Amino acid sequence: MVTPSTMSAADFADGLAQMRSIVGPEWVFDQPADLNTYRDFYSVLWGEPEEKQASAAIAPASVEEVQAIVRAAGERGMPLYPISTGRNLGYGGSAPVLSGSVVLDLKRMNRVLEVNEANCSCLVEPGVSYFDMYRHLQESGSKLWLDVPDPGWGSLIGNAMDSGGGYTVSGYRGHWEAVCGVEAVMADGEVLRTGMGALPGSETWQQYRMGIGPCLDGLFRQSTLGVVTKMGFYLFPQPEAHLSASVSVYRYEDLDELIEIVNELEYGNVFNGMPGVGSPVLSQESPIAMAIVPEPEEMNRMVRETGLPAWRASFNFYGPEKVIAAQWEHVRDRFAHFEGVTYHAEEPVRFPLTPAQLEKAQKPRYGIPSLEIFTVGSQGYGKFNPSDGHIWFSAVIPRSGKGVIDANRVMRQACKERGLDVFMLAPAVTCWTRSFVLFAAVPVYKDVAKNRHLRESIKEIIKICGEHGWGEYRCPPAFMDAVMDAYSFGDHKLRRVNEQIKDALDPKGILSAGRYGVWPKHLREGRGA
Amino acid sequence: MIRRDMLKWGALASALAGAPAAALARAGAGLDVLLLDTRFGEGAAVDMGAARVLTFAGDVTRIWYDHLDRAWRQPGFVVGGITGADALFVLETLAQQQGRKVVARNVLAAVDGIAPVSWVIAPVHPSVLA
Repeated sequence: MVTPSTMSAADFADGLAQMRSIVGPEWVFDQPADLNTYRDFYSVLWGEPEEKQASAAIAPASVEEVQAIVRAAGERGMPLYPISTGRNLGYGGSAPVLSGSVVLDLKRMNRVLEVNEANCSCLVEPGVSYFDMYRHLQESGSKLWLDVPDPGWGSLIGNAMDSGGGYTVSGYRGHWEAVCGVEAVMADGEVLRTGMGALPGSETWQQYRMGIGPCLDGLFRQSTLGVVTKMGFYLFPQPEAHLSASVSVYRYEDLDELIEIVNELEYGNVFNGMPGVGSPVLSQESPIAMAIVPEPEEMNRMVRETGLPAWRASFNFYGPEKVIAAQWEHVRDRFAHFEGVTYHAEEPVRFPLTPAQLEKAQKPRYGIPSLEIFTVGSQGYGKFNPSDGHIWFSAVIPRSGKGVIDANRVMRQACKERGLDVFMLAPAVTCWTRSFVLFAAVPVYKDVAKNRHLRESIKEIIKICGEHGWGEYRCPPAFMDAVMDAYSFGDHKLRRVNEQIKDALDPKGILSAGRYGVWPKHLREGRGA
Repeated sequence: MIRRDMLKWGALASALAGAPAAALARAGAGLDVLLLDTRFGEGAAVDMGAARVLTFAGDVTRIWYDHLDRAWRQPGFVVGGITGADALFVLETLAQQQGRKVVARNVLAAVDGIAPVSWVIAPVHPSVLA
C-alpha cells in the first residue's frame, strides 16, 4: 500500500479507524483489490514507482459525514482527494495528484435534491451522474434538458468542476458556465454556501449566482479548497425543434473571414447551438483528425483536385421552428459573397424525438447521455481500444482563422518531430463560449519506456504552446505543474495567489494537494515528490 | 465473495469461452443475464435456459440504461458476457461503482482483428451481496 509520506503508519491507521467509525467499516477501502479501482487506467505513469495511487478510499453518505471526515483528517494531516464519480478519463480518472492521499469518494451522495421546472434549474449532489439526472428528468415528465459530455457516465458536479463541456446551447454546454450555487465543506469542516445560498430563507440560490461581494464559486473550479457537496445548475427548456446546417467554402484564404462571421453570428445570438469549424479536404484520412494545414497554393490545389471544401462551418439552432428557419436564412445571407460557397441543411428535428429518431440520433446533441464513444475504434476511426487509454491535450487558442492554422501546424509538427501518435485532432472545439480549444487525443501505453517518451514530449509541447500564448484549460495530473508553470505572468503571480489562498483556507494542506499545480506549504518545494 | 461463488463463476467463464453457439447453452445457469456483442456473431437465438440474453453491437448505452443501471442498484444480479474488450471496459468501470467486479475473464480468438472477451461480473461489496 502507498501511504501518505506526511504521516506515520500509526497515525494513518488511527485515522482510518476513525473514518470507519464515521462511515461504517464497509465504506472504507484499503485492500489492494479495492484500491485498484481508484487507479487512473489512462495514467502516463502506469506501473512506475511514481504512479499516483491512493492509500485508501472512504465513501461517505452525507454532508455531516464529510464534515466529520475532513475534521478527522485535519487533526492528523491526512491528505484527502475528493472525487465525485471518478470518471474524467484522459484527465486523471479517480487517482489523486499526491500519491498516498485518501480518496474521498462521494458516489453515495447521489440525490437529485431539486428540479425547478419554472426556474429551469436543478440542485444535485456530487454522485449524481448524467444518466441519473436524465433518468430523473424522463421519469418525472420534466420538460427540461441537461447538457451532457461525451461519454455521459460522469458526475454533473465533477465534470463542471473540471470545466467539462457538452454539445447543446451556449450558456449550458460549458458546464462551469451553467453552475449557479455551490455548497462546500471547507478544510475546517464548516459548510459554505455561495451566492444566494448564503442568505437563510432565500429561494434564489439557483437564480442569481453572485450574491454579495466577491463571487466565490470560482474557488471550487479545478480546486484544492473544499469538498463540494451540492451544486446548482441551469437547465435548458426543451426546444420545439433543432436544425443542423453547414456552410462550405473552397479557398485556403477564406478561413479568417469565415470565422469572423461565425463569431459575429454566435455573439449576436443568431444561432445558439454549438458551432464547428473543420476542413473536409484535410480530413480525408480520418474524420476526427485534421491533417497538417499545407501552404495556400497546395491546399487550393487539393481542393480543385478533390472537389472537397477547404473549410466548413457547422451551425446548430435550437428553438421554435419558424425562428430557426429564419436564423438559418440569415446565416446563409451572411456567407453569400464567398466565391463558390455551398450550403447544406438537415431536416429539422422536432421534439420530443420518436423512438426511431432516438435510436439514430447523435444523443449528446439532444442532451441525452451516451456511451457510444467507446466504440469509435471498432467503427473505423483508427486503432482505438478504450482500455489502452489516451490523454487529452486541450489548449485554448485564439478564435480566428490564423489561430486555427497556427495551432494545427504547431501541434502537428511538434507531434511529428517527437513521433507521437495523434488519433484525434480538432483545432477548433467550441464547447466553451467565445473560445476555441485545440483538442488532441494522444495514446497512452502500458509500457514504461513509451510513456516516459510521451511524458517528456508532452511537457515540451506544453512549453511550445506557452511560447505561442496557448495554455491548456485542463490536463492530467502528470502535467498539472508544467501547465501551471506556463501561466507565468508577473513571476507566476497566478500560482502565488492561489498558494496564498490555499494557505489561508487550508493551512494544513489536507485537500487535493497539488491539483492544478497548487501545493500546500509543506509540500510546495518538492511539488509532492 | 465466497469461494463457492468464485468456483461457480470461473466455471461459467470457461463455458462462455468456447465458440459462442456451442458454448452458450452450457452457460445459462447461474447468470441473471448474458450479454452478447453481435459484432462477433448473432447469439440471440441460443437457448440459454434460465438466463436472459441481451444483445448489442458494441455500444452498451441501452443495455446500461434499460437494464444494468437498475439491476445493479439492488443486491445480487450476476451478469455474463461475450463482448468486445471496449464494451467490457465500460461495463467493468460502471460495475466498480456499484460494488461489483469482473470475477472471471477469458480473451477469445480474434474475429476480424478484434478479440472478444468472455467474462462474469458479480457483486462483491457487502451492500450488494445477495
